[in-house]
Amino acid sequence: MEFVNAFVVSLQSVWNDSGFASFTGGHGIMILVGLILLYLAIVKEFEPLLLGPIAFGCILANIPCTGFFGEEMNVMKAINFGIKFEIFPPLIFLGIGAMTDFSPLLARPITLMLGAAAQIGVFVALAGAMLLGFSVHEAAAIGIIGGADGPTSIYLSTKLAPHLLGAIAVAAYSYMSLVPLIQPPVMMMLTSQKEREITMENLRPVTRFERIVFPIVATIFISLLLPSIAALLGCLMLGNLFRESGVMDRLSDTAQNALCNMVTIFLATGTGMTMSAESFLVKETLLIIVLGLVAFIGGTAGGLILGKIMSKATGGKINPLIGSAGVSAVPMAARVSQMVGMKSKPGNYLLMHAMGPNVAGVIGTAVAAGTMLAMLK
Amino acid sequence: MHQPVTTNPFIIMLINMTVVFLVLIALMYLIKLIHYIDPTKPKAKEAPAPSPVVQEVAIPDNVPQKNDDEVVAAIMAALSSMGEYGTVKAIRPINREGWKQSGRVQNMNF
Repeated sequence: MEFVNAFVVSLQSVWNDSGFASFTGGHGIMILVGLILLYLAIVKEFEPLLLGPIAFGCILANIPCTGFFGEEMNVMKAINFGIKFEIFPPLIFLGIGAMTDFSPLLARPITLMLGAAAQIGVFVALAGAMLLGFSVHEAAAIGIIGGADGPTSIYLSTKLAPHLLGAIAVAAYSYMSLVPLIQPPVMMMLTSQKEREITMENLRPVTRFERIVFPIVATIFISLLLPSIAALLGCLMLGNLFRESGVMDRLSDTAQNALCNMVTIFLATGTGMTMSAESFLVKETLLIIVLGLVAFIGGTAGGLILGKIMSKATGGKINPLIGSAGVSAVPMAARVSQMVGMKSKPGNYLLMHAMGPNVAGVIGTAVAAGTMLAMLK
Repeated sequence: MHQPVTTNPFIIMLINMTVVFLVLIALMYLIKLIHYIDPTKPKAKEAPAPSPVVQEVAIPDNVPQKNDDEVVAAIMAALSSMGEYGTVKAIRPINREGWKQSGRVQNMNF
């Protein structure tokens, strides 16, 4: 009899300590959301390297009684520190810098303007969010989704609206993977067939001197002006210096492969871990997803409109389609410009021309984030 | 976080877009300055030098002076076997470098 009693009490204790005892409908819904995101990542291949760990982190975050965010230190809490203290986004930028070729931008610096114009989407979404009742800090964090730059979105929302981080990261990465679906209709609507057929002149060759000096000068200038983004921009340019110097190949290789992959695992899993039922299952999440789409469309339209103006001003030397690449999403947005250009006129290669505004968009989004931090924080 | 300077979304938009444009315009001029002071950039092309007198090149004895019918037939057969069809308009011997060819053959063997 004593054995049976001890057995029953132990079973009750195991049940009471288990996640099943504290499992709610909210947890169930969020695990389902995680599974859907996993499906999109693995089957539909929507940004799988990012959505995969985000989705898995989401599932883990909604298992009760794990103690991930309790008093004691554990691996998940340590990963969360990397996001909370803004360690991972700059490290990702180090890898992006090592992978990015700034030559198209250096060969045609006027394309920086397209990267600036595409930031209009950020502020359209910011205005929309404020009109919908979000605070100015929350609205700024939501707006940056329009920059189409995951690390910058995470960086800014950690500083201005950490409670919205999960929804903002998911919206940003989901829309970035949907760029080939979102942008073409806007591009077709805002440009004429004649404009889309413009063939651009070849870019001039860029010397090694220019490629080495640019990251150094850009870091000093922008960091002095906007110190709040010195970590982000500094890491981007340091990674690029590794690449362009020609004498730091091992560092470049580590930054763009091993380090970037490791930090991606931590950043994405940690971001998924912020998607708990309590913070995600609110009406604000739905609004953020809608506003993210508005931001993307606004940014694409902003780049295209300035592209049209520049096309007119240069007597048809610039194809306005490269303007849409001003939203960051490197190199996806540039590939979309190429794809639409090729469809309008076979043999019209716009990829390298679109890479200029594309990398300008990365710098533009970081500058927009820095300006908002300077104004609001 | 301190109290923001303004909470009017349109003023925030205007200020931010102005700053973004000004920073990127400044960056554009910095890029132009880097290009201007670049000591390694290729100099502008000078006036073309008068073309040197073209010397008659002696044609080696082993190069056939006329396209031999058998050579044309062999080349056409080789092209046809690769799925290429057309008409041979001219056949020119290429400059052969023995050591390159030897290297290729060695690579094929290993």
